[in-house]
Amino acid sequence: MGGVLILGGGTGGTLLANMLARRGIEITVVSESPEHLFQPALLYIALAGAGADIVRDERALLAKRVRFARERIVRVNLAAHRAEAASGARFDYDSLVVATGARAEPAQIPGLAEIAERYGNYHSGITAAQKLWKALDSFRGGTVAVGQASPICVCPPSPVEGVLLIDKLLRRRWLRSKSRLIFFTPFPRTYPAEPINEIVEPLLKARGIEVKTFFDVDRVEPASRTIFSIEGERIDCDLPIIVPPVCGADVAYEPDGALNADRFIAVDKKTLRIKDTDSAYAIGDATDLPTSKAGAGAHLQAKTVFRELMGEPAEFNGRTHCAFDLGNGTGTFVISSYSAPAVRYPPTRIKRLMKMLMGRVYWLSLSGLFETIFNWYFSWTAPERLAARWPRFWRRANR
Amino acid sequence: MDAGATRRRVVDARDKSCPGPITDLALAYRRSKIGDVIELWATDPGVRADVRAWAAKTGNELVSLEDKSGAIVSVLRILRR
Repeated sequence: MGGVLILGGGTGGTLLANMLARRGIEITVVSESPEHLFQPALLYIALAGAGADIVRDERALLAKRVRFARERIVRVNLAAHRAEAASGARFDYDSLVVATGARAEPAQIPGLAEIAERYGNYHSGITAAQKLWKALDSFRGGTVAVGQASPICVCPPSPVEGVLLIDKLLRRRWLRSKSRLIFFTPFPRTYPAEPINEIVEPLLKARGIEVKTFFDVDRVEPASRTIFSIEGERIDCDLPIIVPPVCGADVAYEPDGALNADRFIAVDKKTLRIKDTDSAYAIGDATDLPTSKAGAGAHLQAKTVFRELMGEPAEFNGRTHCAFDLGNGTGTFVISSYSAPAVRYPPTRIKRLMKMLMGRVYWLSLSGLFETIFNWYFSWTAPERLAARWPRFWRRANR
Repeated sequence: MDAGATRRRVVDARDKSCPGPITDLALAYRRSKIGDVIELWATDPGVRADVRAWAAKTGNELVSLEDKSGAIVSVLRILRR
């Protein structure tokens, strides 16, 4: 068997498979899970008690002519063009696309696995999200600490979104005056990109949320619920809500230089080719790309690889497009590229509505049938274009 | 390169816009020991202020901060963690 082998059935893998299938290319998608989870909705399950209808059967999302294999890939030999599954099944390929995503790994931080087990979180699946909602439900006042355990997390706006939604929830339950809300971050400011921080920092201040910067979690003491930072600080709290560190899938690559220390795949940041290979690519959260780990990135990277596999010239420009719910009925997007820093995109109610609508449109978008609309949308919201349209809202990141 | 027990780690964050350089510095700090030296190469101008603030906050030493071959090179010695 040859053709294109796609490892992983998330946003990037599914969209790419469907786009290629339409061109009559032989595609095999291998995924460990038969299900496809819309990850951004975990935030609302955990912090707003939303329903858990956020899973679809992956097979049903793929075009009929795509071959789907439910296997756990354990080894990829990039030189021999072969992937091997735990069951012993082998997959030979002409071209490979790795889209195995990122997984939460709380065990990287001492004590965090126990905290995740006890209180849940909104980055590890539906069960963990529902557990956090229960923990919030029984919270009657005290100190809540929210933040990310590592500088790398999936969906960079999500830690701030989390603390803002918790503030909203506590106010709604008349518990805010009985609660202290602390936001901690390993970065120098509330939101790492300065133009977005200019929007976000005043919001947290206005709501009385304390911010601890340069707080990089070293370990957590589950019994006392104390969070210690590498920098030597500590936070004592009643409810720790900690975004776990992430790493790449547990797959061995030959040669092993393809992976970095966190098992993310080293790719050329423009061609998305796995380093030192000619026909293997990686997209989405699985890569070591210096951009946000988020669905829009996987979408745009899938399109780049699609064009390359079609023999067309294509380069990924580092574009990000992360939806950001500001918890006050408005939203914005974190939009940047390799050549343009994040835009200070004014928050509006429509932008938040667009984030909510994406939950509905997402499943359709994976068909690849709406690329004309997405092309128009991404081009209309290109950071350079936004800067020209609203110069007063655009600031160079570090001026 | 420093020899012996302490290590000199070169972190290349060139062509990464904010927060790329400070993310890479934080990850290197996580993997460092007292006495190690981290040499951070970046092109984002914001790194100057961020590295100064990081050193002041964490109690580590900013040995030097200079422009070299079109990049901003910060040398940090780990004194605390």
